[in-house]
Amino acid sequence: MKLAYYPGCSLHSSAVEYDISTRKVCETLGIELAEIKDWVCCGSSPAHQKDELMSIALPAKNIALVREMGDLKEICAPCASCYSRLKVAKQKLADDNLRKDVETIIGSKCPDDIEVLHMLDVITDRLGLEAIKEKVVRSLDGMKIACYYGCLMTRPPKVTGKTNFENPTQMESLIEALGAEALDWNMKTFCCGAAFALTKTEVVLELTRKILADAAAVGADAIAVGCPLCHANLDGRQTQINRKFGTNFHIPVFYFTELMGLALGIRAGELGIFKHITETEDFLKERAFK
Amino acid sequence: MKVSKQQKNVTLDPGFAGEIQRRSGENVFMCYQCRKCASGCPSRMFMDSTPTELMRYAQLGMADEAMKKNTIWYCLSCQTCSARCPADIDIAHVVDTMRIIVQERKIKAQSNKLPLFNRLWMTMIKFMGRAYEPGIVVSLNLLSGKPAKDIGLGMKMIRKGKLKLWPSFKKPFAMIKMFAGARRLKK
Repeated sequence: MKLAYYPGCSLHSSAVEYDISTRKVCETLGIELAEIKDWVCCGSSPAHQKDELMSIALPAKNIALVREMGDLKEICAPCASCYSRLKVAKQKLADDNLRKDVETIIGSKCPDDIEVLHMLDVITDRLGLEAIKEKVVRSLDGMKIACYYGCLMTRPPKVTGKTNFENPTQMESLIEALGAEALDWNMKTFCCGAAFALTKTEVVLELTRKILADAAAVGADAIAVGCPLCHANLDGRQTQINRKFGTNFHIPVFYFTELMGLALGIRAGELGIFKHITETEDFLKERAFK
Repeated sequence: MKVSKQQKNVTLDPGFAGEIQRRSGENVFMCYQCRKCASGCPSRMFMDSTPTELMRYAQLGMADEAMKKNTIWYCLSCQTCSARCPADIDIAHVVDTMRIIVQERKIKAQSNKLPLFNRLWMTMIKFMGRAYEPGIVVSLNLLSGKPAKDIGLGMKMIRKGKLKLWPSFKKPFAMIKMFAGARRLKK
């Protein structure tokens, strides 16, 4: 299976471990990722809040770049925000007037036969869980994981096409295929405040606190995420939350690709797990992971 | 329950709902005030008025009420309201449209850094093609007068190799051309 790969800005910087683990896992599973050559930012949340036309043109530019790479039919985006923007653009370009404007801006045709997939879709839908189960060499037996989806992996359903957007179970089925226990909890699609991480940090601290508190209440050993912004907030803000609210959270937050990597027998260091802000060393040592 | 004093002079803009529809395609008159958006909004506790009230302001043409309160600037674009709206209004898109109008008309936004953040981000990708995180953080902190914000976290991220310290330049000429093209089309 060969897919066009759109890492997005975060995966080249603050979420570099998501990029590393995604590539490692795909290599092990025989999925070939071809990074889109000279991809540009999808515009993320600033674009749709400031300039509607550019918020469609930027993802369209990237979709157009895929066509230059040959006959690839699918783009895989691990970042939930990039995934959402690419999907929205693809949907909006069904409007012929808008398509004409956008193609004038980007200076080339934008193909309409390229599908956008989140990394999780690639794993559970394209590859299938049976194929993963076969390759698990080190079961995550005994780990209690709270799967956190955040906003844009499932919402809005008109864009993502997900039917169970209030209570998704896609990541849970993957986590269980790896041998771990996926917990039932309330906050799996509650917003962490992502877009306000830099501008209104107090909002992020409050919302993230609620998520961490619920994960702790159901007895989660760790949280699994599939979005670099969710990870930055849940993983990076725990110290600040503990200081502000007098709590004592210390919950490791993993990308689902990192947990997959561990189950597939890849060493934690090679997956970039030690780059997390909330320490994972003790967690891994207790469970005898290398 | 918050009881607000009756206002005597309310300026109405009868074209407000029409402008929102023209720009976004969303018809705010479909809203029948069920409050599902307000009850599910994770950011409601920070807002001056609820998303439901915002829709009413739009219907009535109370543009000032809608755009000068902090409500639109506390929307997280989490899409919960849009996903749940029984009248199928993309409420988050309506909010985005109001934010775009505010920024275009340079209406003074209520005490927040979001318009500045948006401007910095868009300028950055216009010249660099990709977002450069350290650049965004430093310029935002300096321009909003909090130079030391999150400095501890930033240092930790640098130590862990989580920040790309040098920017990359991807297709700068093509990007500048794209932005210019979009500007021309809008005129």
